[in-house]
Amino acid sequence: MDETRPIFIQIAERIENDILSGALPEETQVPSTNEFAAFYRINPATAGKGVNLLVDNGILYKKRGIGMFVAGGSLARIRANRREQFRAEYVRPLLAEATKLGISRRQLADLFSSEATDSETIAKDTITKEGAA
Amino acid sequence: MSTVIEVAGLTKRFGKVTAIDDVSFTVQENKIYGLLGRNGAGKTTLMQLLTGQEFATNGSIGVFGRSPVESAQVLDRICFIKESQKYPEDFSVKHVFRSAPWFFGGWDSAFAEQLIADFRIPTDRKVKKLSRGQLSAVGVVVGLASRAPLTFFDEPYLGLDAVSRQIFYDRLLEDYAEHPRTVILSTHLIDEVSNLLEHVIVLDEGRVIIDADAEEVRGSATNVVGARGAVAQFVGGRDVLHSEAIGGLASVTIAAVSPDERRAARAADLELSPVSLQQLIVRTTNSSTKEFEQSA
Amino acid sequence: MTSDTGTVRPVTATAALTRVANVVRLHLTQRSQLLVLPWMILGFIFLVNLVIWWLVLASSAPAELASVSQGMQFSGASTFIFVYMLVVAVQAINVTFPFALGYGVTRRDFYLGSAATFVLLSVYYALGMTLLATIERATAGWGLGGSMFDVVYFGSGTAAQQFALFLLGFLFFFFIGAATAAVYVRWRSRGMLVFFAALTLILVGLSVLATSTASWPLVGEWFARSGALGVAVWSLVPTTLAAVAGFVLLRRATPRN
Repeated sequence: MDETRPIFIQIAERIENDILSGALPEETQVPSTNEFAAFYRINPATAGKGVNLLVDNGILYKKRGIGMFVAGGSLARIRANRREQFRAEYVRPLLAEATKLGISRRQLADLFSSEATDSETIAKDTITKEGAA
Repeated sequence: MSTVIEVAGLTKRFGKVTAIDDVSFTVQENKIYGLLGRNGAGKTTLMQLLTGQEFATNGSIGVFGRSPVESAQVLDRICFIKESQKYPEDFSVKHVFRSAPWFFGGWDSAFAEQLIADFRIPTDRKVKKLSRGQLSAVGVVVGLASRAPLTFFDEPYLGLDAVSRQIFYDRLLEDYAEHPRTVILSTHLIDEVSNLLEHVIVLDEGRVIIDADAEEVRGSATNVVGARGAVAQFVGGRDVLHSEAIGGLASVTIAAVSPDERRAARAADLELSPVSLQQLIVRTTNSSTKEFEQSA
Repeated sequence: MTSDTGTVRPVTATAALTRVANVVRLHLTQRSQLLVLPWMILGFIFLVNLVIWWLVLASSAPAELASVSQGMQFSGASTFIFVYMLVVAVQAINVTFPFALGYGVTRRDFYLGSAATFVLLSVYYALGMTLLATIERATAGWGLGGSMFDVVYFGSGTAAQQFALFLLGFLFFFFIGAATAAVYVRWRSRGMLVFFAALTLILVGLSVLATSTASWPLVGEWFARSGALGVAVWSLVPTTLAAVAGFVLLRRATPRN
């Protein structure tokens, strides 16, 4: 838990991350508020706030008497949101920084492709190494 | 959400010393409150007033709707665990856990037993022979197992080592989730308990300087660090909670920044860093101390 | 047992009684110290005396027996046990009071419970002492002419009278002890100093008065006329005053560390 942002938002994000990664598939049950609270060692009310935020955003829904479930279509919704955030938090600052450093659009594109190939290679190497180990 | 405690204009003087100075606030049912502040801020005195152990000089206190002083109805539903609880001579741990259930209607013996094991409290030993940590643990167990609708913990975990403190926080959260009750924790170890709290009341020199939802307080300040000029420009006319400078570098604490402002700061080469609850309270407390000194 | 968080439990007569009973239980938590230990110490003192009496008898000529038995009267038993109870009362107020407040007991319930405990202990010990005194008389001084429980200046009354004597004596020591401790709990060291200074002044003052008006013989007469039982009954006055004073003092006392 970092201290820049409210905890309930961080809880909501962690649940969203789990949905994105597939750890929490759609229409499956998520842990209860109390379980989240105990796991993250935070106040249950705060955990509840995070869960409610997701319910309000249509990511989770409540089945009476049973618990909270991941809503259908939430994966797509989260991805779309995150893409918007990605643009605002990464792309825009990146472009601003590039301008500051005098990197042209063309150079930026080149940087992207070389970096992408490099990271693919590294990823493949890592997989090979892990495979061999 | 019903009000469990209602305090208005409360003042307590010990001779010439004003320990509690015109304090007013309310406590809502079934939340975990943090009663924070420096040593000597008045936390213990306030709790003693709320539990009828001390008599107010002025003002009113309502706990469960009536004054707690000499009220068995109210006191029956309260558990007050102090840091320095003195036990009768030759009392053993066994005696403590035998007598506590008589005074707390909601006592859970099974829970108590489990906690005694968790904290490794030797039941056959005399209380006066316990280590500081074990003594604190006894208090903590009584407070938890009492299931009192209103439970005060006055820094009873100071004697506990870090592992035991974590056990306490974990058990408190678990039990609170299953069996909601109003809990008031006083401490100066703010960062440790910060995530457990739902509401925060900060005392300084007998006065309430913060009385707000914990999440609000947590997100309410940011540190801006960078070149003096850039910082000054970014901060503009905003209220400054705290400022430090070294050489050409300045660090200023201001209220929360929006995501747009965040990007503007980054663009201006300024570093924004979080202000923990503890830091915030320390800084607010220091500034209020200065205020008092100036007005005195 | 779950407790509701919304409304306050109504107070009933039984609840009040239970609360007071719980205070009694609290005092009696360390049962052996309060109920057994004094008898054990008394027993030890008794055995020592027994040996002494036997030795004295064994080494005395038959002609000296009359005068010797005079010296074999040890009234220390009662003194010891009265003082022990005084200390119990002081501890109850000094230590158990802040502890009970910590358990959420009201001052009123605490005092009533303590007073009840004192009465119970007084009855318990008065019964025991009377029993021992009766046996002592029946065995003509434990077969050795010794006198430890059935003491001469208590008068050779009936068992009932002896019981009353012991009972009133215990009550006196309990409540005086409690009231004195209450002075300390309420006003701490400074209060104690003032209290004892005042007490000394009063006692000295009364003595001076008695001496200057040559009324000591009157005092002696009164004691003689009233007899042990009479004095004991009159002691109810200071006992009651102390009981009330203790309550009044504790009502505004706080558990200051």
